[in-house]
Amino acid sequence: MKNFYCVVTFHSTYHALNFEKVMLENGILTKLMPVPRQVSTSCGTAAEIPCEERQRISKICIDYSVEIAEIHKIEDNKKSNWFINLMNKV
Amino acid sequence: MRESKGKIVATGGIMGLLAAILVKFGNPVNMGVCVACFFRDIAGGLGLHRAQVVQYLRPEIPGFILGSFTIAKAKGEFKPRGGSSPILRFILGFFLMIGALVFLGCPLRMILRLANGDLNALTGLAGYVIGIWIGIQFLKRGFTLGRSTTQPSATGYAMPIFSIGILLLLIAAPTFIYFSESGPGSMAAPVLLSLGAGLLIGVLLQRTRLCTAGGFRDAILIKDFHFLWGLIGIFAFALLGNVIFNFESFKIGFTDQPIAHTDHIWNLLGMALAGVTAVMLGGCPLRQTILAGEGDGDAAITIMGLIFGAAFAHNFGLAASAQGVGQNGKIAVIIGFIIVLSIGFSIVANVQKQSLGKNSKEKGGLQIG
Repeated sequence: MKNFYCVVTFHSTYHALNFEKVMLENGILTKLMPVPRQVSTSCGTAAEIPCEERQRISKICIDYSVEIAEIHKIEDNKKSNWFINLMNKV
Repeated sequence: MRESKGKIVATGGIMGLLAAILVKFGNPVNMGVCVACFFRDIAGGLGLHRAQVVQYLRPEIPGFILGSFTIAKAKGEFKPRGGSSPILRFILGFFLMIGALVFLGCPLRMILRLANGDLNALTGLAGYVIGIWIGIQFLKRGFTLGRSTTQPSATGYAMPIFSIGILLLLIAAPTFIYFSESGPGSMAAPVLLSLGAGLLIGVLLQRTRLCTAGGFRDAILIKDFHFLWGLIGIFAFALLGNVIFNFESFKIGFTDQPIAHTDHIWNLLGMALAGVTAVMLGGCPLRQTILAGEGDGDAAITIMGLIFGAAFAHNFGLAASAQGVGQNGKIAVIIGFIIVLSIGFSIVANVQKQSLGKNSKEKGGLQIG
């Protein structure tokens, strides 16, 4: 079975912080994290969101004028080798 | 962060080991890899400054850029882009370099110095974290240099071609290129080893996006420790590498450390200036170099600021030396803080004015409606 998770990306860190605040006020728990590598080569901030809440989140963003860049659904795959596995145990 | 901790620790680990190996084969002690120092040496090699002890066309830098360029091209991630406040990036890059050269090293060298027992790097680290914290306060209030946009391909190729030019000049060694005969600039690992290490680091960092500023920024701002683990990897493996390869130079303490001084307050302030500017720029000098390789013209202009800053630092006696920080260097750091903080406040004020304008328009709309 494949694991998926959803993230929202932003044009600035400030937008990410604002997004987290507004979502919290609306009872949606999000988690800020570095943008997943699959989505971007940048090292900016993204927010993980519950995939099933995507529609509602988009609507809240419009209602509250929260600027977001894109919403992505990402496959949670982990490539690995022996050195990475060893380091994972540290 | 969903990505595995192992990958980022391993990346940092390989960098730390390579840094120790480069010292073993001839790079200056605690300077296996130092992005600020190497740009400074390149500025010297090109004759932009005439400090005779720090002039060399370090092949590691073209290695970073070309490594990042090659892997980005191969993976379809090479994207020419730019146009995000170029002049401000140039100025921030300039003062980032001033801060780094007052401390005597970029944030990466700070970690490498610490991994060889140089406790002055602890003072630098404290300063760097304070600087990053200050930068975060601006981010929280809306600081941004603006979005970059897609640019013509030529923008993306600028730095990779610059890198090839530097390598050609290094090999051809025409008389107008300066090579130090003594001092740190004269100490260098063999060209192919340096270039190879640079290419490998360039590839790894393009894939993993490890950044010294990002590591602390994310830890403080969003409590995410992914990139910080990479920095711990650099430290741990550089320490291990130094103990194995460079044990004769390993020494714990503040005094008589190689290419370092014990002017604590200026070590702290120098790195604090580097921290604020790196957060505003969205990445430390190492990260800017990698971004420049994958087509980021904003990173390229930041690098030009770094080189310009390095040239100024030595022409005007701003850079520190083993004897400490001179009067000019101290004044430059203070001017740096004034200018960088002014840029921060001015951008935050602009952003807030814009969002106020937007809100009042919406309210107005509601009233009419």
